[in-house]
Order: sequence, then structure tokens, then C-alpha cells
Amino acid sequence: MKRIWGVLGAMTLALASTAASAQEKLVVSIWGGNWKEGAGIIAKEFTKRTGMEVEFITGGTLDRLAKAKVAKDSPESDVVFTTSQVGFLYQADGLFEKLDKAKIANYAGLVQAADRGDYEVGVYSYVYSPVYRADLMPKDFKLTSWNDLWSPEVGGKLSLPDFDPSHIIIASAVLAGGTAANWEVGIPLLEKLKPGVKAFYQSDATSQDLLKTGETPVQVMLSINAYHLIQNGVPVTIAIPKEGAVVGIDVLGINAGTKKLDKAQEFINVALDPEIQRQLCNFHKCSPMHKDAKIDAELAKLPGIFTTPEQWSTQAIITPDEIRAKLLPTWKAWFTENMMQ
Amino acid sequence: MSKRPFLIPFLVPAILVAVIFLAALAEILQYSLREFIPGSLDVGGFTLDNFARIYRPVYFKAVINTFVLSLATAFFTLILSYPIAFALVRTKVEWVRTLLILLSITPLFTGEIVRTYAWMLVLGTNGFLNTMLLDIGVISEPVTFMYTRAGVVIALVQFAMPVMIIILATAISHINTDYEKAAANLGARPWTVITRVVIPLTMPGIISGFIVIFAWTMSAFATPQLIGGGKVLMISNAIYLQGFSALNFPFAATLSVIALISAFASLALMKLIANRLERQTAIH
Repeated sequence: MKRIWGVLGAMTLALASTAASAQEKLVVSIWGGNWKEGAGIIAKEFTKRTGMEVEFITGGTLDRLAKAKVAKDSPESDVVFTTSQVGFLYQADGLFEKLDKAKIANYAGLVQAADRGDYEVGVYSYVYSPVYRADLMPKDFKLTSWNDLWSPEVGGKLSLPDFDPSHIIIASAVLAGGTAANWEVGIPLLEKLKPGVKAFYQSDATSQDLLKTGETPVQVMLSINAYHLIQNGVPVTIAIPKEGAVVGIDVLGINAGTKKLDKAQEFINVALDPEIQRQLCNFHKCSPMHKDAKIDAELAKLPGIFTTPEQWSTQAIITPDEIRAKLLPTWKAWFTENMMQ
Repeated sequence: MSKRPFLIPFLVPAILVAVIFLAALAEILQYSLREFIPGSLDVGGFTLDNFARIYRPVYFKAVINTFVLSLATAFFTLILSYPIAFALVRTKVEWVRTLLILLSITPLFTGEIVRTYAWMLVLGTNGFLNTMLLDIGVISEPVTFMYTRAGVVIALVQFAMPVMIIILATAISHINTDYEKAAANLGARPWTVITRVVIPLTMPGIISGFIVIFAWTMSAFATPQLIGGGKVLMISNAIYLQGFSALNFPFAATLSVIALISAFASLALMKLIANRLERQTAIH
């Protein structure tokens, strides 16, 4: 009996010490893989400045949102990394603290696209754009417009994301003379595209696999993933269509109910520091949100990397988070019921 | 009660699990009857609209796909596993048995994702199978296996085979070989012995194996997700798309309820057929 009490006592102590160590750390919720690795750049500098360690908890975009919803008043994390439209869902459900922008010194130097309202702030951006394997396509094949996805050369070779069809829906709406808000104008074009779609991908890993194996030589793809493939020797060409590429922005927000509000704001401030922005963008091959971030000249030349106001105005299709968040379920339902059957 | 002093303490965990399971099912049922509010994680009032939506072709097709693919998987798994299980039990050569165990049972210890990824490499346009068939001149153009029902069934069958082999091997090992010897002595040819004696005697194993694999496949997710590439939707994939892509938890719950009802109905039907089959093939 004494032994059982001894074991129970040891377990209680172990649990108590785990809880205590979690209290001393800033907990950041983020995706796994290279996203977490990139956020490590921020964490390292944050720890250097504040002496507080950072602990990452990882998961997919929507399962982390679902967990935050369940935890609500007792959040598992202090800071959340997510996409801007999903960030809107966090704030709409009262899961984000209002940002005290006065305490985030680097906020003043941000580009306009970084301003995602009072509850979240853009950290870097990327594009969803058509990419292709030139070595598996006919000679002289080029993609200069979203319209080219409807060409006979692309038929039967295209893959699209099924978890978020907003990019192709927005692009079709733009081609039909509309915007995301009146996306229905693009429906005839989408229906015409359907026979040309070979597969739908469900994750970044499957997306890269489809292109790497040549299973679908053309894809609407996240630019960061495309650059990742290029770095690994896969001959991928990223096209920025003349109509613009669909911009995605990863944001930071603070969990409502966090007990480390000041430290959470400092984490965001560190993430927006021009030098950290430079390091982040060199790592991910993405566009910085701080105007003073001096990214490498070679990186600045790459398609989908926006560093000037002119690039933002001519090459980027930006959709308000609220429209995207509210329409995504409708888009998703339409896409599943009409494109995937 | 004094004869079984541990009965209540042993029952408590099972009752607790059952209560939690039933509470979760009740929550799913409750969600399936709630209205979805776009742009919010909260749900609205009670409605039956989610159930009306099931009749849209894509979801109806997902239910049918699930049934047909589960049936096909169970059937082909049975056909391919039976000879292996038979050889496994009856071989007298130790190394052959070891080899068969290694080849058939070891895949059970690798995860579903790992095996499915391996199948993606085998079945792809530039994959092992197409390259081999092209090299030996059987085909002149790559055959499309990926994103087809056939591709999904191939991967599911390989995934299910170890379990089927274990079930069948157990059934075969319980046959008294005197029956086979008696049949042979009475002039039955080997094939007749197999079809008229061995198979009827292993019918309970065949039926339980078939039902287990059928039920297992009904909830398959990763394999149809990766090999089907969104072109072959099973009901679990449709649930995932609604719940975790569109955040439409009420409709995802409705699809879950439909999946549960379909699974129970299919199993009840199968049990009915199995009972009849068992009666017909019983040796008197």
C-alpha cells in the first residue's frame, strides 16, 4: 500500500512540475514542419529579449481552431499563428484578445496588407498561384494568365486544393469580371474547368508530392511550398498571372484569457521586427510585412515576393478576411457538390 | 455476488466508457439537427435541412461508394487471403511458414499512412507498376490507377489482408484433418475436398473475416483520401471535408449519423445473409 501511495505522490509531483514549467513558458500554437521551424526564429529572439522560453503546440489550421473553441476561457496557448481568414473566425467567436497596438512598437512600420483589424496582425504573406513542371509540359508552354488553366495543354494535368478552394473561385470570379463578393459570376468558368482537374489535394505534403512525382504537372499551389520544392531540386516554375496572384497572409493573434498578455504582445512585436522579418522571409521565401525589412536581393526578384507598393497593387489579389471567412463554407459546399463528384 | 468480488470494480471502467461513448453519440445527433451559421463556430436553432441535403448527388454517391468499395474490398481480401492462410497453417516447412508470416502479417505493424504512401509510389503514372508494365511491353501508355476506385480497392485490400489472414488461419487451424482424409478415401479429388469440406468447415471464419473487413473499410479515411485524391469520396472523407474544411459541423454530424445508420444497416443485412449461408453450407 505504501508503495502505491509513493507512486501516486511521485506522479502528482511530476504533473505539478510540468504544469509549473508550462506557466513559465509562452505557449505558441502553430502548424508543424517548416512553419514551426520558421517561428523558431521569432522564439529565439523573443527568449533573448525577455528570458522567457517558448513552447510550440502544433496542429492543423482548423483542428487548432476547434480546440481553441472548446478550451475557450482556459486557452491551451497564449499566441496563435494562423491564416488571416481563419483569424477572423477566432475573433468572431471571442477567442482573440484585442491587440494593444501602442505596445507593439513595430506596428507603425507595417505595409497596409498587414493591418487585419484590431485582433490580429499579418506577419508575412505568400501567394496561391499556378505553378507547373516545364519539363513535363509541351515545349514553349507558358502560364501568363489564370485563363491558361483552361487551355487544352493543361486539361487532365491540373490539381487543386480541396481544403480551401477559395483561390480558384476568386480567380474565376476575377476572370469573369467580378470579385470574391460576387463569386457566382465565375461559376460557368469553374464548371468548364472541372473535366481538366486530375486530382484534389488535402495537405501541403500531398500538394508537393503531386508535383514532385509529376502526377499532376500543373497545380494551383502555395508559393512557399513551390519554393520548397525548387530548393529540393524539383524543376517547378511559379507563374504570377497578369490578373494577379491570390494573396494569403499568416497572422498572429493573442488567445483571449491568456495570463501572459504583455509577453504575448512582445512576441508579436519581435515577429514584426525588420531584422526578424528578413530572416523569416529568407527562410520561407515569402513577402515581409514591415517596410524596413531588407530581404536579400535574390529573394526580392522571385515571383510572388512583394516588396514595393507597386507590386502589391498590380500583382496581388487581396480579399477581405470577413468576406473570405463567411463565404468559405459556401464555396467549400459548392466546390464539393459541383467540382468533386 | 460474494463469488465474484471484482465484478463491480471491473465493470465500472466499461460502464464509464459506454456512458462517454453514448454522450458523444448524443452530441453528434444533437449537432446534426442544428442550423449552420457561416463565419461562426456557434450553431443555430433546430432544423431538418441537413438531412434533406444528403440527397444531393455528391453525398449520396459517397454513401454508395462506401458500401460498394467496402464490399469489393472484403471480397477481394477474402479471395487473396484464403490461399495464404491455408498455406500458412498447413505447410510443414518451417522456413516457408516464417516467410509467409513475414510477408503477410508484418505489414500490420506499419501505419496506414506509410502503406498508402507506398501504394502512391507503386500506382502513380510514373510509378513502379506502370514503369514495369511499360518496360515489359504489356502497355504502351501508362494506366491510370491513382484517383480511381480500382486504385483505392487495391490499397485497401493490401491494408486489410493481414487481419483477414489471421482470422482465416485461426479458422483453418481448427479443422479436424480426419474429415479431409475421409473425403479423399471416399474418392474425392483435392479440389472437391477443398470446396466441399474445407471451405464449408471454415465458413464461420470466412463470414466473420468478411464482416470485420467490411465494417473496417466502411470507416476508411486515409487510403481513399490519398489514393482517391478527392475523386473517390467515401463517407468519412465527406465528413472531413464538411467538418474540417468548411467548418460546417452540423452537416458533418449529419453525415456521421448517416454513416452510422448505413454501417448498422449493412451489417444487419450481411448477418442475415451470413446466417442463411452458414445454414446452407453446414455439413450434416
